[in-house]
Amino acid sequence: MDQQEYLLRRSEIVSQGVEENPSAILVVGPGGRILLASDGAGVLFGMARAEMVGRQLEAFMVSAPGRNDLWKPDSCESGVVHNLEIRNSQGELIPVEAQCFSFSTRSISLGGEDQEDQEDQSHWMVMMTDTRLREHEDELRAARLAKLSLLNQVSDALHGADLTLDQILQAVLICMTAGQGLRFNRAFLLLIDHKQEILQGEIAIGPSNADEASRIWMDLAEQPGDLLQMMTCYDRSIKQTDVAVNEIVRHMTVPLSDENNLLVQVMHERGTKRLTAEMTWPGAETLRFWLGCSEFAVAPLVTRQGPLGVIVADNAISRTPITDLDLEFLLIFANQSAAAIENSRLYHELEQRLQDLGKAHQKQKEDQESLMRMERLSVMGETSAIVAHELRNPLVAIGGFARTLMRSLNTEDPNREYARIITEEVSRMEGIIHDLLDFIRPRKQTRKMLVLDELVAGTMGRFQGELDQKGLSLNYCLQAGSVEVSCNPGEIQQVLQNFLVNAMQMLLPGGGIEVRTSQLEGGVKVEVLDNGPGFAEDVADKLFSPFFSTKATGSGLGLTISAQIIKAHGGVPGARNRDSGGANFFFILPLPKREDGE
Amino acid sequence: MSKILIVDDEPHLRLLYETELRRAGFETMTASNADQGLEFVETMKPDLVILDIRMAGMDGIEALQHIIERDNNIPVVLNTAFSSYRDNYLTWAADAYVTKSSDVTELVTTVEGLLKDRMATSS
Repeated sequence: MDQQEYLLRRSEIVSQGVEENPSAILVVGPGGRILLASDGAGVLFGMARAEMVGRQLEAFMVSAPGRNDLWKPDSCESGVVHNLEIRNSQGELIPVEAQCFSFSTRSISLGGEDQEDQEDQSHWMVMMTDTRLREHEDELRAARLAKLSLLNQVSDALHGADLTLDQILQAVLICMTAGQGLRFNRAFLLLIDHKQEILQGEIAIGPSNADEASRIWMDLAEQPGDLLQMMTCYDRSIKQTDVAVNEIVRHMTVPLSDENNLLVQVMHERGTKRLTAEMTWPGAETLRFWLGCSEFAVAPLVTRQGPLGVIVADNAISRTPITDLDLEFLLIFANQSAAAIENSRLYHELEQRLQDLGKAHQKQKEDQESLMRMERLSVMGETSAIVAHELRNPLVAIGGFARTLMRSLNTEDPNREYARIITEEVSRMEGIIHDLLDFIRPRKQTRKMLVLDELVAGTMGRFQGELDQKGLSLNYCLQAGSVEVSCNPGEIQQVLQNFLVNAMQMLLPGGGIEVRTSQLEGGVKVEVLDNGPGFAEDVADKLFSPFFSTKATGSGLGLTISAQIIKAHGGVPGARNRDSGGANFFFILPLPKREDGE
Repeated sequence: MSKILIVDDEPHLRLLYETELRRAGFETMTASNADQGLEFVETMKPDLVILDIRMAGMDGIEALQHIIERDNNIPVVLNTAFSSYRDNYLTWAADAYVTKSSDVTELVTTVEGLLKDRMATSS
């Protein structure tokens, strides 16, 4: 190959490299004439590259801001970027960045038209970029960054343990539709129901028509891209409008056994799927029917433990096509959401278990305390019994001799009265000891079937003399009939006696006592009523407590023992003031359960 | 005159019972423990025994068994501060039970009643 041929080959390669370049490149000769133009330059200037060759570059230029003269390559420093405007063949102004590189040629041959052999001529290579394209790219990049930052925020927030599952689902859907988020019009969340073995629509978000949509999106656009604020905004303005979508989502059910179904398949294959109007798939038509929209995207909610469900999203209102970028984000976001949902479930499960454990622990503690209390009471009981018993012997001696003394003294002697007081006080102390020993002593239950009315009448009859003596009247109203109860008669008699003595102590001569019995469903009631002053309401719940007494005399154990006896019979003791004045002490005993077939 | 033996380790109670029973017209003797009481049952042949249950050394319930072994006809009144004594079936052999009280009327009437019955059956 001689030198001529070699040079020709080289110039061909260079010019081809320029002409077929997608960037906008121009080679400009002396005087500003365009010698070579690339494909990219053709696109930028709006004409075929061949058409540009031979024209003056100046013809396309617009004077740069702050300059009157037109921009020329020969006035440029090599490699410096200039911001300019050009006018393309349609007359549009296009902002460009331009850079020039100058070079000299001894001899250059550039195709047939212009063959001048000149020494040391200057040429320029001019490269231009449409800055609008760059701005668009920047915008895209910024949008991507904003989305990623939101996703990051969402992921952080969703993994915080203080959200309930419902709140997480809501947050997921908000991010699916928010302008700062994935920008879908509507989103639907379906979760696996393991019991019924179906995918069940749980919750959805989105407007039901264009009016609503524009209002919501304007509301949301005012919001900075902070998840918390977005959720607040959701509560304020979206919640009322997503009734329609939530109606839709409730109808969405797919059996898990339907493995070919689009949703089930997406869930198992773990990738997103976008269905455009022309694509068919098993289950897609049903879904289109539910959504009322032919194009939609589906993303799986999957964790390492397995699938949880799917998210379905569409642009039913704006009809905007779903882009690859949308799908890319949808997948990332679905993964984050699935992890968050799983986390929340595990967390709440853990919380539940901790709660159960806490309850069990509390119960154990209470049992232990109650056991300790009982043990303490039992020790106290034994001690009281010993003390009571030890006190009885000296009391018998004191009281006994006081009685002897009293009898030996003359009725006029004031010492006789003193001896009488000693006797009386000792009797009271003996009464207390008797009650106490009786209270502590465990009762032996020897039950008999007895006609209640007979038992009551028999017991009360014994007190007739004492009542007459005190000028008190006793009336009966026994209506339990021939009903029999299973009881320890001695004990029930003691209760009746306690109630009666109690009533007698509350009454002045002329007072009246009434004893009533009546039948209830499953039981019988016995009441001892008086027309005395009654008891203060604030002591009502203390009446049956040990050592509580409103009387100057008495151990405060009589009613306690009575309550103990009634409870041991499976009954209920009680006391209340009568509307007409006076007190009503009563107890209810259960009727024995009849064996079937008797 | 009927002879009553009082067995109790409390000297003041012995004195009280003696005073009251003598006033009621009985002859009394006392023992401060069960062993002495059993000895007096042998030697003094009382007509009735008042027996405390809880005493140092041999208790009244055991003493009751011994008395019955020696003389099945002698009436025994169990006298105790515990109202639960009847829970022990060994006390069932006694002729009467009287809970200790500063009012000795019940004790005296019980003693009178038992001796009257005994006289009625022996005559």
